[in-house]
Amino acid sequence: MSAQDPQQLAAEVQGATVRANLVLQELQAALERASSLAGSLQQTKASRGGSGQTQPQMEELTRRLADLESDRSELSSRLAEFEQQTGRLMNLYVATYQLHATLDPQEVQSTIGEIAVNLLGAERYALLFWKSEGNRCEIALSQDLQHDRSNIFQNGIYAGGDPAVDATLADGVLRIGPIEGSEALAVVPLTVQGTTVGALVILKLFDHKEKLRPDDRDLLDLLAAHAASALFAARVYSTTDRKLKTLESLVKLVRRG
Amino acid sequence: MKPNKVLVVDDSKLLHRMFEMMLRQYPIVHAYDGREALERLAEAEHRDVDLILLDMNMPRMNGLEFLAAVKGKPETAHIPVVIVTTEGKEADTERGIKAGASAYVKKPFRNEELSTVIASLTLGVKR
Repeated sequence: MSAQDPQQLAAEVQGATVRANLVLQELQAALERASSLAGSLQQTKASRGGSGQTQPQMEELTRRLADLESDRSELSSRLAEFEQQTGRLMNLYVATYQLHATLDPQEVQSTIGEIAVNLLGAERYALLFWKSEGNRCEIALSQDLQHDRSNIFQNGIYAGGDPAVDATLADGVLRIGPIEGSEALAVVPLTVQGTTVGALVILKLFDHKEKLRPDDRDLLDLLAAHAASALFAARVYSTTDRKLKTLESLVKLVRRG
Repeated sequence: MKPNKVLVVDDSKLLHRMFEMMLRQYPIVHAYDGREALERLAEAEHRDVDLILLDMNMPRMNGLEFLAAVKGKPETAHIPVVIVTTEGKEADTERGIKAGASAYVKKPFRNEELSTVIASLTLGVKR
């Protein structure tokens, strides 16, 4: 594997996070020991009637302890940021990997749904693709649409009516709600070579996920960039494979004849 | 201290991949529904599983049914089970914990949140 391999990189980042966490734990333990030592020194000093000689040493010790505590606090917050970044990178890596891991169109569609549900927290969503004829989209995949009150996703078809969805299908721009007049929380364009072939519409999040977070934006961008091309490649492969098998059967028949 | 093996029971391939990445230091046993997971646990080579990450909504056998089966067998009852699911209502959490789960994590989860839960459950597990 090269140093640029994203999987290796993610593993290295994760390893570094674990190591940093251990260092932080050790630092915390050392700090607690130092703090306890300072406490007992203070007690000893008090019991001996507060000798003037130990006062500067105590002050120095207290100052150094305060510095250490401040360093620990800073390290701790940097580690938390680092862990968040690692998690975000891992989500992006896994989502990309899984989208391109198969040449089965159904499986690619399922992966798009799994990303929406498991990584973004979508309780209700619809995956739309333009139909080859007419000005309508087919609903290729959805969840919980039976509870959608807008009634614009009917009988496996989206015929227009939501301003955000219509706009994204027309201009291929990612939209994140709230958007006036729209039920959608996010509309992700699905584009192949600059052409918008559909959209992923997120209509409701799980109750325990309050709203889309800033780092969800990365995942939405990733879906916009990769979902359609992965699906398109899988469909092309599937069609070619089907044609190849038909031709092979024909050749066999001709040979037998 | 690390667990010997982690059994991941989830019907989402994406989640299996995610857990593989997150838990690189642990050998992982994969199962895509409750019934398959019980089969894996019964295999001699997987007797050393000592942590289970469990989804709730799965085909064939769901998470609660699997949990009941695991906790009902003396040879598996001791294995800590972490439910990792999109079902986020308080009643769902209570039901899972009552059924014997050691922890309940809601999807989508932050990696550090799950790591902390796993670390707290696997401390003291001998390799």
